Amino acid sequence: MEETGKSMEHYATLDERKSADAIIAACRRGDRDAFRLLFERHRDRVYSVALYFFGGDEATACDVTQQVFLKLFTKIEQFQGESEFTTWLYRMATNACLDEQRKRRRFLPFGDVERVRETGGRRAQEDNFAKAEVADCVKVAIAALRPKLRVAILLKYFEELSYEEIAQALGCSKGTVASRLNRGHKALARQLGHLRETLVRGE
Amino acid sequence: MFGQHVTKNLSAYAHGETPVAETERVAEHLRACAPCRKEFEEIKFGIRLAESLAPATAPASLWEGVEAALIKHDVRTKQHAAVSLERRPFFASGSGWRRAAYACGVLCLCVLAGAAWFFLRPSRSTWEVARLEGAPRIDADRIGDRGRLAVGEWLETDANSRAQIEVSNIGQVEVEPNTRLRLVETKLTEHRLELARGTMHAKIWAPPRLFFVNTPSAVAADLGCAYTLEVDDRGRSLLHVTSGWVALETPGRESMVPAGAACVTQPGAGPGTPFFEDAPDALVEALKSFDFQNGGGMALDAVLSNARTRDTLTLWHLLSRAEGDERSRVYERLSALAPTPEGVTKEGVMRLDAGMLAAWKDRLEDTWADESMHGTRKAWRKLWK
Repeated sequence: MEETGKSMEHYATLDERKSADAIIAACRRGDRDAFRLLFERHRDRVYSVALYFFGGDEATACDVTQQVFLKLFTKIEQFQGESEFTTWLYRMATNACLDEQRKRRRFLPFGDVERVRETGGRRAQEDNFAKAEVADCVKVAIAALRPKLRVAILLKYFEELSYEEIAQALGCSKGTVASRLNRGHKALARQLGHLRETLVRGE
Repeated sequence: MFGQHVTKNLSAYAHGETPVAETERVAEHLRACAPCRKEFEEIKFGIRLAESLAPATAPASLWEGVEAALIKHDVRTKQHAAVSLERRPFFASGSGWRRAAYACGVLCLCVLAGAAWFFLRPSRSTWEVARLEGAPRIDADRIGDRGRLAVGEWLETDANSRAQIEVSNIGQVEVEPNTRLRLVETKLTEHRLELARGTMHAKIWAPPRLFFVNTPSAVAADLGCAYTLEVDDRGRSLLHVTSGWVALETPGRESMVPAGAACVTQPGAGPGTPFFEDAPDALVEALKSFDFQNGGGMALDAVLSNARTRDTLTLWHLLSRAEGDERSRVYERLSALAPTPEGVTKEGVMRLDAGMLAAWKDRLEDTWADESMHGTRKAWRKLWK
């Protein structure tokens, strides 16, 4: 316990890698301050994955994020460092999303996608809204993807993970990741074909 | 080749996640297979949509819930309960210095992360421009020895100026005097210039179909190559390919131009039929008449009678541009110069069967390889001017 409770300044003075290792080591010893620091470092990423996974449902995203970190802190002793910590964390986050969805059976009604598509046409007339419109429509379309495709897309575009890292996080092969991303991209293009011009105009 | 479509590998290809050999195979296949190229455009559109996702910021109150759950967990677990007796919850601590230290730590981390992001983020929205001669301008402002071209900005050279553009990390464009071009967009999956007038030389080492140039009469799509593109004041363009391939495209019409070949485009008509630079003048003259001056059957016959084996490039493209009896005459001349491969029939070609046309083109490409261009005549240039 002699090293628990090291100050945040201590971690801030280390380079990122050493700092991450030191924080994780402190967490494994039960250092609550280190938990807080670890939380601050990763909370937005985990929250973003959960938020987009559940189609913008903030309350569910908060619940899932809290579950992920609680589980992380109680299981961190099991992290042996064979893989990147972030890969381990994202595996936990995606499993939490999938579990929560199984529990809640929260599938986005297809009608919502249609609604966004219809309103999209009107809003596209205003260039200032183009980017927001695209982002809104993409959010809805991603929520309508099959969960495994959705998770692959979120890890690729929020976390900028490589195919190898996504494969590790999801516990599947690189080929499966490539296939899921391919299917995800095609589904997005198919669903949001009406935004092609808007996307060009908004950039 | 067409038994091995690449549609399943296109996302990995676009993300640079395919092994070198597979990347080459996909690139080669895309060059030859129109359905896969169409599929690739869809994949790239899907990627652009996904790239529009912006990370969200978690509510500040989130920690309170986590901390409460942790405390609850501590109480429930004997082992952790023992720890919790020794430690007070972080925010319950009355120690001001700890909170101040924590705030400083987080602040330092945020500053470090922000600085790292700022300096290490990929430079996506501007390209570096180097002055080669004279005084090139970006949006009417003179650049010094170097400048940055942002999306939407125009780069212009006068009669005494030349410039060189670094195209993201995928190639270079040299801009000749009296040229006006604009950076339309630069993204992971697409880099696009608009050439309004003048001359540019492009050298691109990225996978095919990542670099495009809009002209008033067609879009030039890079297929892994080096080329020169000129646009005159009437919006006509002339493409000359020095290595690799370039596709000139308008909706419903495409010309595939290999090294050593050239192609003319005109507003309203789109890309003409490609021809080799060393083709007979009579062929080039007749081709111009057929493509842009309603030369009809007479012009076509002049093209056919002057065609050499290598000019099957021109004849293959004419198959889809001639109709009825004229298409039949093109088929006869083409098959006399280069016998049809197994499985390709006149009936299939006459109905423009995509698979048969692609198979025949695949066979013909051996004869289109860039031969020694020593002594290449540039006489055809006067036909464009």
